[in-house]
Amino acid sequence: MSVLQPPAGPRTTEGPVPFLSRLHEWVATTDHKKLGVMYVTSGIIFLIIAGLEATMMRWQLAWPGQDVVGPEEFNRLFTMHGTTMVFFVGMPVLLGSANFLIPLMIGARDLAFPRLNAFGFWLFLFGGLLLYFSYFGGQGLYGMGSAPDVGWFAYAPLTERTFSRGHSTDYWILGIFVAGIGSTATGINMIATILGMRCRGMSLMKMPLFVWIMLVDCFLIVIALPPLAAAQILLLFDRQLGAHFFDAQAGGSALLWQNLFWFFGHPEVYILILPAFAFVSEIIPVFSRKVIFGYPLMVAATVAIGFISLGVWVHHMFAVGLSPLINVIFMGSTMLVGVPTGIKMFNWVATMVGGRIRLQTPMLFSLGFLCQFLLGGLTGIFLATVPFDWQVSDSYFVVGHFHYVLFGGLLFAILAAIYYWFPKVTGRMMSERIGTWQFWLLIIGFNLTFGPMHVSGMLGMPRRIYTYQLDRGWELWNLLSSIGVIFQLLAFALLVWNLLRSVFKGREAGDDPWDAWTLEWSTTSPPPAYNFDEEPVVHSRRPLWDLKHPDDPDWRYE
Amino acid sequence: MNDTHQHDQTEVIELPQPTASPMVCAFGFALMAAGIVTNWIVAIAGSIIMLVGATAWFMNSNPHSREIEASPEKKPRPIEPRTGVVDHLIEDSSHRARLPLEIHPYSAGITGGLIGGIAMALCAVLWGWFAHGSMWYTVNLLAGTMLTGYADMSMAELYAFHTEGLIVGLVIQAFMSIAVGLLYGVTLPLIPRGQIMVSAIIIPLIWSGLTWASISVVNPALAEHIEWFWFICSQIVFGVVTGWWIVRTEKISTMQNWHYLERLGMETPGVRDMGGES
Repeated sequence: MSVLQPPAGPRTTEGPVPFLSRLHEWVATTDHKKLGVMYVTSGIIFLIIAGLEATMMRWQLAWPGQDVVGPEEFNRLFTMHGTTMVFFVGMPVLLGSANFLIPLMIGARDLAFPRLNAFGFWLFLFGGLLLYFSYFGGQGLYGMGSAPDVGWFAYAPLTERTFSRGHSTDYWILGIFVAGIGSTATGINMIATILGMRCRGMSLMKMPLFVWIMLVDCFLIVIALPPLAAAQILLLFDRQLGAHFFDAQAGGSALLWQNLFWFFGHPEVYILILPAFAFVSEIIPVFSRKVIFGYPLMVAATVAIGFISLGVWVHHMFAVGLSPLINVIFMGSTMLVGVPTGIKMFNWVATMVGGRIRLQTPMLFSLGFLCQFLLGGLTGIFLATVPFDWQVSDSYFVVGHFHYVLFGGLLFAILAAIYYWFPKVTGRMMSERIGTWQFWLLIIGFNLTFGPMHVSGMLGMPRRIYTYQLDRGWELWNLLSSIGVIFQLLAFALLVWNLLRSVFKGREAGDDPWDAWTLEWSTTSPPPAYNFDEEPVVHSRRPLWDLKHPDDPDWRYE
Repeated sequence: MNDTHQHDQTEVIELPQPTASPMVCAFGFALMAAGIVTNWIVAIAGSIIMLVGATAWFMNSNPHSREIEASPEKKPRPIEPRTGVVDHLIEDSSHRARLPLEIHPYSAGITGGLIGGIAMALCAVLWGWFAHGSMWYTVNLLAGTMLTGYADMSMAELYAFHTEGLIVGLVIQAFMSIAVGLLYGVTLPLIPRGQIMVSAIIIPLIWSGLTWASISVVNPALAEHIEWFWFICSQIVFGVVTGWWIVRTEKISTMQNWHYLERLGMETPGVRDMGGES
């Protein structure tokens, strides 16, 4: 390898770096840690945008007959909210955390393909910007439409040119398509890194659970995203070149879109939730002061979830009118996925049993995850039952269910992860006091918002309606949901404040503030560009434990 | 730290040279995509930018990946070993004390459920007799769970005898009694103390709460005529009788106590005498 420039001195001896140099440093970086930070920061910015969109919707629905936004704008709001949360919040946070943590956890200096990694991030970012450019582009260049308004799963034939004029749907297709290529590239990169760059001694069964789960997750990304890209290209052909893949009146099939989309869409739910499992699988043992319960079974359950999640997509289509046999098969497979997920739940609880639990902020959010994801999972079992699904399909019950899974589950786990790894990323601690306030505000706000949605859904309130009449019995539940948003806004304002304050004024964290056991805590906070002075050698799943407890190392028992 | 971080002073750490080419390439690609919905000139500009980025990327990676020498940075603090051995789970079966090592036989649950069901039915029928002057009243109300037409019956019709009402009521009562009795049989051994309290008070109250929440959907006829005090009383009678019957039966060992060979179903005479787990 050629050395192109002499080493600069230690950073501490240099003066303040000019803004442009610092900007260039970030733009041109191939360092997995910086890219990870950029992924997560972008995700948080998109989260704020999507949160504001949701706030507008809840404001509109707080009382019957409100006129805060019109029906067209409401359609755009829920489309952009859903699309942003799935593709531009969940995905970047999971890829960002994988970027930052995986090389550190497996004792590598970078990812297998650092430039491809940068390419993946920039594709994601430009894809997101392209999507949001629709607010200006759709209106400004052609005078037709604005942001997409076809829902985050963009059912055909609503997306056909006949029904969706202008270019808003095209922006939806292209933005996600561009970002999807980036995600697939990063997924391949992660797989190559995990399989090929682990440090000495780290066999597959000695990898941290985080890495195992991310490996399965990246396989899912590589398998599930291409069908979506294919479907989007077909849709683009329909819209731009006059093809009829999804135009039922001209021999196409609207059902084809549903199959292609949900073949991506349901694994996508697991692509999003598996990283949540990964986060809490690292956090709960550390804050329970115990080794994870049933590591091999946790690995097996992860792999099982990966497999089964590829065969459940039709449960999104129970109300379409497929044959009873198909419905029953997919009802069975959907219920089956509850088994490995249940194993995980039990193992997390078993890890805590008998442990010395430290109720610090990461653990609080992990516990919030456990409780709320359990509720979301249970309503998922309800919805897996075909007759029940027929009753509440496309109602607010479904909205409540998936928010318990993706907000109560994923987002709480993300917040746990932010509080847990922030000291490693920045070298500073976040405020525990503000974090605890944020947790309780969010617990109250979340449950107040999404709990009542189950009731309004059972009472027949369809999702996506922009207003409702006074006499439906939905008023109280909608008002409660909207009041919950106020608590959530306060909680997220506290998060932003805590992040900004801690970056500049947070207490020095040290290398290992949580007394943890995986390799990332053995290096400095923040880690150097090269991660480790020398390639680590590990002998067990908890290498730092072995170093801290030479009299009683883990490898004696594994 | 010995293993993990022995720093070799002579080692040169090389990292990929920073390059904006992936960003340029991605920007060009996004512009190409945007060209589809804006103007073909945008697409052409995007493809040119992408080509420039891809070329720079190629030059950066070929014939060898360009690297820079990493600047030395702050070293991690050495990890201080702690002496002593930590607590481990005790390697005997006491940590499994919450699992029932002995259970009541399933037959006790079935029998207890049937006896409790009879007691409960007697209680309910007697209440119907005294309060409404008809022993068939409660039977008809129960049958309304499956016979939807009973929701529209007049009071006189509900007081009258109906053969299908009796049959359906009996089936429902028998099925539910056996199912709940089995549940009692399985659950009660898990409870370390106060089993009668749980079976006689707590479970009937929970069941009554569930019934209260769902009765208007499950059985509109019963919802209209139910008197909750007596309903709860009949549940408690069931709980007392079933719980008492189950608790008084002799417990049997679960397979948890068996030797591994026995669990495999192998004929192993004398295994227990040889120091098996039992």
